[in-house]
Amino acid sequence: METQGTRLAAARAALRAVETRMGADRKATEGPLLALDDALAPLLPRGLRKGQVIAVEGSTSLVLALVARASLDGAWTAMVGMPNVGVLAAARRGIDLARVALIPYPGVQAPATLGVCIDDVDVVMVGQGLAISDADRRRLAARARESGCVVVATGRWPGAHTQLTVEGARWGGLGAGEGRLRERDMTVAITGRSTGPARRVVVCLDVDTQSVRLGATVRRATLEDRAFGTGAA
Amino acid sequence: MSVPLRDATVATVRRVVLWVPDWPVVAAMAQAGLGVDAPAAVLHGKGMLAVSAAARAAGVRRGMRKRLAQRACPDLAILPHDEGRDAREFEAVAAAAENVVSGVEVSRPGLLMIPSEGAARFHGSEEALAEALVTRVAEEAGYESSVGIADGLLAAVMAARANSLIQRGQSHDFLAPLPVDTLVHATMERTQRAEVEALVSVLVRLGLTRLGDFTALPSADVMARFGQVGAWAQRMARGEDVAPPILRRAEGDIAVEYVFEEPAERVEQLALVAVHVAQQLDAALLAAASRCARVRIGARTVTGDELVRVWRTDVGSRSGAFTKHMADRVRWQLEGWLSGTSTGAGTGTASPQPAPLTALTLTAEDVVPLGAEQSFLWGGTSGADARAHRAMERLQGLLGPEGVLAVSEQGGRTPRDRVHALAWGQEGEPARRVSHPWPGRVPDPAPATVLASPLEIHVLDAGGSPVRVDRRLAVSAPPTWVRLQADPGDRVARAAHRHPSSGHVGGGDGPVWAAPLPVEAWAGPWPIVERWWSSEASRRAFLQVALRDDAGNSGPALLIALHEGRWMLEAVYD
Repeated sequence: METQGTRLAAARAALRAVETRMGADRKATEGPLLALDDALAPLLPRGLRKGQVIAVEGSTSLVLALVARASLDGAWTAMVGMPNVGVLAAARRGIDLARVALIPYPGVQAPATLGVCIDDVDVVMVGQGLAISDADRRRLAARARESGCVVVATGRWPGAHTQLTVEGARWGGLGAGEGRLRERDMTVAITGRSTGPARRVVVCLDVDTQSVRLGATVRRATLEDRAFGTGAA
Repeated sequence: MSVPLRDATVATVRRVVLWVPDWPVVAAMAQAGLGVDAPAAVLHGKGMLAVSAAARAAGVRRGMRKRLAQRACPDLAILPHDEGRDAREFEAVAAAAENVVSGVEVSRPGLLMIPSEGAARFHGSEEALAEALVTRVAEEAGYESSVGIADGLLAAVMAARANSLIQRGQSHDFLAPLPVDTLVHATMERTQRAEVEALVSVLVRLGLTRLGDFTALPSADVMARFGQVGAWAQRMARGEDVAPPILRRAEGDIAVEYVFEEPAERVEQLALVAVHVAQQLDAALLAAASRCARVRIGARTVTGDELVRVWRTDVGSRSGAFTKHMADRVRWQLEGWLSGTSTGAGTGTASPQPAPLTALTLTAEDVVPLGAEQSFLWGGTSGADARAHRAMERLQGLLGPEGVLAVSEQGGRTPRDRVHALAWGQEGEPARRVSHPWPGRVPDPAPATVLASPLEIHVLDAGGSPVRVDRRLAVSAPPTWVRLQADPGDRVARAAHRHPSSGHVGGGDGPVWAAPLPVEAWAGPWPIVERWWSSEASRRAFLQVALRDDAGNSGPALLIALHEGRWMLEAVYD
């Protein structure tokens, strides 16, 4: 009797056998994990690894949520080139403001600033519209891999390990003149260097913040198969 | 329960008490510039807290209502109560007393205490010590005081009130005939005083009017009936102590002052001065064998303003690093003051007009002996903390002091008001407390993007005319369309803006408007009327709107505000 589970186990065993035979262990090339909120795990099934570059397009909340648990566990964070970031939202998501440095306008010194941050800070959030070229980005990514810093960039970052694109957000709680914003579903398309075509996940950020502080739960962690083969749409 | 309490006592200390009668009113009169013989009283709450000798002679009593007091003495000067002033003015008395003896305990403003043993031996006799104290206080501080010497706290306080010297071992007998309400004089703070007053009232109703009657009761029974307060009161009444005096040591500030020969106006003049004062402070700290956690930088301007900022200085190593580190901070701070940009971003407090500086002071705060630095309660600073701090300080060197900000939450109603940002390493209190209730603030969740400065937008109803909110917070029509400003670099938007159909004919200047987006849902308005008494008064009505994008999908949710007839985009829930 062959179920999906046994097939998966067999496939993994085969993969492991190949890895040991070739002496190319995937674990050895990957950095250690940083803590990630359980609810966001479907977005990054292999975890928030040190030395990675993750680009998030279309949502600042998602950037903050990705970083929140790591910050709670003691990681230092720097926000470079994000003059409009909602600091209060960051605090509400669980980022410890005592370990946050805000560098709103690095200007022409952006590559140098990012370099210093990547070397000495655990998590660096990068805003949009900074004066960094693609070559700078490649150099910075290499430095991040070296120092074990996680770079979470808003917008696009060519060569990012994972690119999360928010394709739509649906807010609940508002009516015609009554209610308030309460919760939202976000459809996120995930593409990555080492993964196949885009897959889409719906996460529910902002469960009513009155009751839950670290607010992000997956309502339907559905992997929508229809997106298979169509690319990032 | 036959164990007598006195077995557990600390040794009773023979002490000198120096008492300035009616201290609150004496201090208030000194500050108000009244003569000592003027009738005056300090009013606190409904009654008089303290009354000067002249007013007392006229019939004004402690606890009297204002109107009664004025009837008894029409030219009575009524002064406000201020505990801070009392303590501040008493500092002069304490300093005068410290010139006679080496350590004093200021029990409360108006009363200070000295253990008599060593001091009396030094001055020859207790009488000589008392005389020296009264003379010095009168000469240097300018206040009349009385001194009493006795064993135990209460006896010494009562001896001071009677201006007398009680022989060794006589305290019990001295106190026994006094009424029980003298116990109140041994209390040093308000809550303790209230407790003791309650106790005294019970004792009087029980028929115990003298301290001698009270001390005759078995101490175990007093403890059982009155608890800790009773036990404390009985020991006081016996002429015993509960705690030895806590002496303070006078220590001078470690500070450096630099007076400019000519008022400094240009930044270039200051670079060398900054290094110079930093070196001096470093040397002063080294001479005192200590280091400090914070440095207060103060400056005086030609207009007489005092500017003060506190900077953290957690430099790990001392040798050499401190001077460089401090010199940078002093230079930044002076540059900020001279250029008028040093407002501590986000605090909302306007700094005074920039003016040339005449003097500069550096004061070390949180001074600890070298090698005795306090680390955090739960483990020391980790390597990562030190690394991050160093990195941020390096970036400050690169981008300037205000280039790196440390943020914290503060009280407020709008998302922008609720953030307090300061240059990295600078210390300062948030302008507004988080713990205050802040009624009417914009409801949660907090928006993830808060525009540094609000952007004008158009909010239109179904017919295309602007939506208004009237005084009674009625919305003129449900908002149906929202027009955001387009990126001015967007050619398509610019072209559309120029097109006659956009209704901006000839509008070459002004913002470029994007195509209107339909409103899916909205909530509000929430009114926020703030600080109507000040120049930064504002009346705003906030609205949350969720938009649909061009393709008909759900678009962004916005926080918008109507301010003086114009709609502003405040924040985006993205």
